[in-house]
Amino acid sequence: MKICQVEGTLVATARISGLQNRRLLIVKERGSSGKQVAVDPVGCKPGDWVIAVGSSAARDAAGSKDYPSDLTIVGIIDYWDDRDGRAES
Amino acid sequence: MMIHRVVRDLVTSKRNFWLAAKSLRVVEDCNGNLEVALDPIGTKPGDYVVTIGISAARIAAGNPKITTDLTIGGIIDYWDEDRWHG
Repeated sequence: MKICQVEGTLVATARISGLQNRRLLIVKERGSSGKQVAVDPVGCKPGDWVIAVGSSAARDAAGSKDYPSDLTIVGIIDYWDDRDGRAES
Repeated sequence: MMIHRVVRDLVTSKRNFWLAAKSLRVVEDCNGNLEVALDPIGTKPGDYVVTIGISAARIAAGNPKITTDLTIGGIIDYWDEDRWHG
């Protein structure tokens, strides 16, 4: 599982039907600068630190085996000080 | 899922049976790396899109037998260059 911080919501009106009307969030993985998009079945706010699962577990975590997600948020971290366990510097 | 920008469409007349008649697009990420994605929606060059990778790409394509590892899942309503790189 990856530790990510939520940046904000992503609006995509024209989408494939398989994605249904689930909320999509822009997240930034800890220690990398690239932005990714995750499905949010939990209900996160911008700034929250969350844990997200990838690969086929992301499909199950989004609610069903047939849901086309490759990154799904599974929980909000209650307390996260980003100085903990810092890999870089 | 990743954010990509559609560069252009891609024509391949001779292709794997399971790619069938699906349309393909060349997409680029924020660093300019090019990839090919399957497009079930109908995107235009310049559109910012959400792309679905790995095994979920096959489900997103509508049939798990379709051989793709990157499928466009939706067109982003509001997005710009600054948010992409920032």
